[in-house]
Amino acid sequence: MTASALTRPGERDRLSTKFAELDWRIIGLLCILAGIGTAMLYSIAGGHWQPWAAKHLIRFGVLLAGMIGLAMVHPKWWFHAAYPVYGVLLFMVMLVEFTPLGYVAGGAKNWLHLGFIRIQPAEFVKIGLVLALARWYHGHSAQDARWSWKLLFPAGIIGVPFILVAKQPDLGSAMIIGLTGGVMMFMAGLSWRVIGAGVAAAVAVIPPFVMFGMHDYQRNRVLTFLNPEADPSGTGYNIIQSKIALGSGGLMGKGYGLGSQSQLEFLPERHTDFIFSTVSEEFGFIGSFTVIACYVALILISLRIAALSHSHFGRLSAAGMTAFVALFMLINGAMVMGLAPVVGVPMPMLSYGGSSMMTVMVGFGLILSTRVHRYVELPKGQGLF
Amino acid sequence: MSSEPHIFFSDVNERQGSFLRRTMLMGGATALGGLALVGRLAHLQLFKSEEFATLATRNQFNFRQVPPPRGLIKDRNGVVIAGNRPSFRVLVVRDETKDLDQTLDLLGQLLPDTLERRRTIIREVNAAPRFSPVPVKSDLTWEEFSKVNLHAAELPGVMADMNEARYYPHGGAYAHVVGYVAKVSDRDVKAIRDKGEQPPAILFNPGFRIGRQGIERSLDLDLRGVEGGKRVEVNARGRVVAEDIAGSRPAVQGSEIVLTLDNDVQQRALEVFGEEAGSMVVMDVRNGDILAMVSSPSFDPNLFVSGVPSRIYRALADYERRPLLDKALSGTFAPGSTFKPVVGLAAMKRGLDPSRRIFCGGSFYLGRRFACLGRHGSLDLRGAIKASCNVYFMTLAAEMGPDAIAETARDLGFGQTFDIGIGGQKAGLVPDREWRRKNPVRGDTKWYPGENPSYGIGQGALTVNALQLAVYTARIANGRKAVTPRLIKSIGGVEQGGSAFADLPYTPEMIQVLRDGMEAVTAAGGTGFRNSQLGLGTVKMAGKTGTAQARNYGSGSRKGAGRPWDQKDHNLFVAYAPTDNPRYAVSVIVQHGGLGGGTAGAPRAREAMKVALLKDPEIRARIESAGFEAQEDAGVREAEARGEPIDNGDAEAGAAVAPPPLTEPGQ
Repeated sequence: MTASALTRPGERDRLSTKFAELDWRIIGLLCILAGIGTAMLYSIAGGHWQPWAAKHLIRFGVLLAGMIGLAMVHPKWWFHAAYPVYGVLLFMVMLVEFTPLGYVAGGAKNWLHLGFIRIQPAEFVKIGLVLALARWYHGHSAQDARWSWKLLFPAGIIGVPFILVAKQPDLGSAMIIGLTGGVMMFMAGLSWRVIGAGVAAAVAVIPPFVMFGMHDYQRNRVLTFLNPEADPSGTGYNIIQSKIALGSGGLMGKGYGLGSQSQLEFLPERHTDFIFSTVSEEFGFIGSFTVIACYVALILISLRIAALSHSHFGRLSAAGMTAFVALFMLINGAMVMGLAPVVGVPMPMLSYGGSSMMTVMVGFGLILSTRVHRYVELPKGQGLF
Repeated sequence: MSSEPHIFFSDVNERQGSFLRRTMLMGGATALGGLALVGRLAHLQLFKSEEFATLATRNQFNFRQVPPPRGLIKDRNGVVIAGNRPSFRVLVVRDETKDLDQTLDLLGQLLPDTLERRRTIIREVNAAPRFSPVPVKSDLTWEEFSKVNLHAAELPGVMADMNEARYYPHGGAYAHVVGYVAKVSDRDVKAIRDKGEQPPAILFNPGFRIGRQGIERSLDLDLRGVEGGKRVEVNARGRVVAEDIAGSRPAVQGSEIVLTLDNDVQQRALEVFGEEAGSMVVMDVRNGDILAMVSSPSFDPNLFVSGVPSRIYRALADYERRPLLDKALSGTFAPGSTFKPVVGLAAMKRGLDPSRRIFCGGSFYLGRRFACLGRHGSLDLRGAIKASCNVYFMTLAAEMGPDAIAETARDLGFGQTFDIGIGGQKAGLVPDREWRRKNPVRGDTKWYPGENPSYGIGQGALTVNALQLAVYTARIANGRKAVTPRLIKSIGGVEQGGSAFADLPYTPEMIQVLRDGMEAVTAAGGTGFRNSQLGLGTVKMAGKTGTAQARNYGSGSRKGAGRPWDQKDHNLFVAYAPTDNPRYAVSVIVQHGGLGGGTAGAPRAREAMKVALLKDPEIRARIESAGFEAQEDAGVREAEARGEPIDNGDAEAGAAVAPPPLTEPGQ
């Protein structure tokens, strides 16, 4: 039975009703993408479940259950938890940065070692960011959101984790944090003039930052992106090999398990950041188009869910979660196709990696919760700020 | 403001309205972004697909060169002179080793001799391209090979495989004529570049060998073959994953070279030299085929295939008997008395009556005294050849002058090189007035009559090599044609040579005089009698002895006994057989072999000649039908009648010459 705006009191709070209210299109699309990811990881491992495919699938299963569980959580809990979650996650990022619990992997100090588990707080901090921003905007007027001194608060909410993560240095995650925050400020109604000024400032600041503010390997990545053929065996290698993998796939692809670039390890990071290249190589244009289409559908459905929410918190949190999934997809896609510099941004659901998948699934848990509880209106002005 | 409800609602509506508008924008932006990605995908996957497919294939497949098996070199009867044998080797791939030093330490425990060459190995490994295997040791024994394979797991980057290595089954017998192969050196590459050509890639393959001397060098391109290619699938680290059979091209073996050499004659020719230095050439007088061409002492060409250790190389290079030098072609000597028939022929051409008698009193005077080896009394030309009388030929030379002698010498093959397909030949020198004009002695371009007597007995500026001596003998033995030597019988089944020989500009009668004289040399009473008896019945050998001064002696013994080796005379001998219907000619030069070609030269010529004759089916049939035992007895009886020792040669030559034990029937 469908729950409409006019249902009996208590009807909407019943678990069975909530369950029926889940958006199964989203769940279906996530299953398809995770399935493709598993299949690719199985193929890359030379037709073996180990070391990636099995873990990927198990994680997805567990997180799928977790996501549906989160979808059942009433928005008021999300709302109340927003600032504490943000605080805890920010604290973890600080732990990575300032305590010996953080450790270095792949040139960046972005892992937190908690004895029983290793996590990348930079991934999760996006969730806290989205919740905190949604909560802040929920309590403020359109004028405040458009342009006022109060915007210093959301700017701070974005800026602190951005700077911390950028210092790790994890440029990809920092960029996602900054852009997610930016998209949320935009969605909340930031003045177009301010946006224009911000873009202009970014254009003015980025080139000097690239030249002077970046680590060497980061600068190399950017310069390599601009001219990958300059150093084909060094930093340009990834982009060139990825383009070869994509291009050689052609329309129909080389066939499952037959991608020479990925099977013979020419493609670097083929199980994480460059997994999309493997899809494109083995399934061709048709396969990669399907994957992109799935993502776009997922994002448009999620945005519609955001638009249908009755609370501003719900709208903004769902839109924020959608925003970072969209950013993941677009940046990773552009990266593997040689349209963007190589920054460590995974392809959501496809790439191997627990932290990133968990972030995305928690995000979709929130989006589904917004959908399930779309009629819930949250009181205004219950904030710390 | 917030206290007024309408403002509150408008605020809510304004917030929601702006959110909805911007959600539309974001949805549109996302869709646009997706579209952009799809556009890029289409660009890469649909429009530039072929280009990238090529690049992917280039990544995936490597073309590995396979060195071609080198062509075989065989003797006239199909005996393999230079072949290929399987060789186990150990190779190291730098980029697959974790730590080259450590790997070499471990390898050194298995193959201790790699430790000695460690520095060389490290240099070679580091110079090689990435992932290209560098051989560090070849010719492993089976035990070593299995040991390395057994420990393969502990030795990353080390592999053992089998390839083909050049092999010379007869050791030193063909070291000079067939030569050897060796690793390609920078100089080889540079030589090709200097010619303005691009060196073929196969030259840089570590398993490839290039011909360095003799046939191996001159016919290198024929022997080389066409390299094959193995299309292999490699991963990003260059490790071979699989071989693509369909894309592979087998190597084509080089052409087979058949030489005119006869393995048995060649082997015997080298064998009889023992420790002595010198050279021997055996030729077929009818078609010029070289049956044997040896230079002694020799060396084992197999040493050079995998790189000769410098210690051994130095020993070879420093040895005073010069094993590395091809004495048959590049060693030139004064022909000494072997040249006398040439002088006689030149004189007959100028109208000398061979029956003219000249008196030898032991000396010839022309400005100064020239000694003869004896007082021969009155001799005709035949007798003078038989007795090798200096006075007779000095007289002829003094009468003719150098130009007449030089002309005949050239007619008979001296002063020139022959196109036998290998390099390193020295033409020697046939002096005449023209030569003196171009090479004045202290500014004096005049040829003095006082030089003629020496010329007449094959001394002076005149130099020849063993091949020329053989050609000269063959031309006299042939009697009609100016035969030229042939060494390469066929290349890849294509017969070589075969052009008709020119006629000799001498009448058979003149030639017959020389042959009579040379028969007399090896008959009882001749200078070469003792060591020229074949013991093959009616098949007899005719020849001419010779001595070339190695230095100026003053007075005293010229026999050379007791003199240091390098001060003794060179000992020469030329011969042909059978006397009645000549088939084979032989020339021998024994360096510092002592006085008189009959002592050191003749027995060696005899042995090689015997093998050549016995291998000739026609002659063998003739010998067998005549029964050589009886004839042999007759020869011995004849010798006994003259009161000469039955055994030949060795006694007189004494300690100076020690031919190896000769095994022949009837001795």
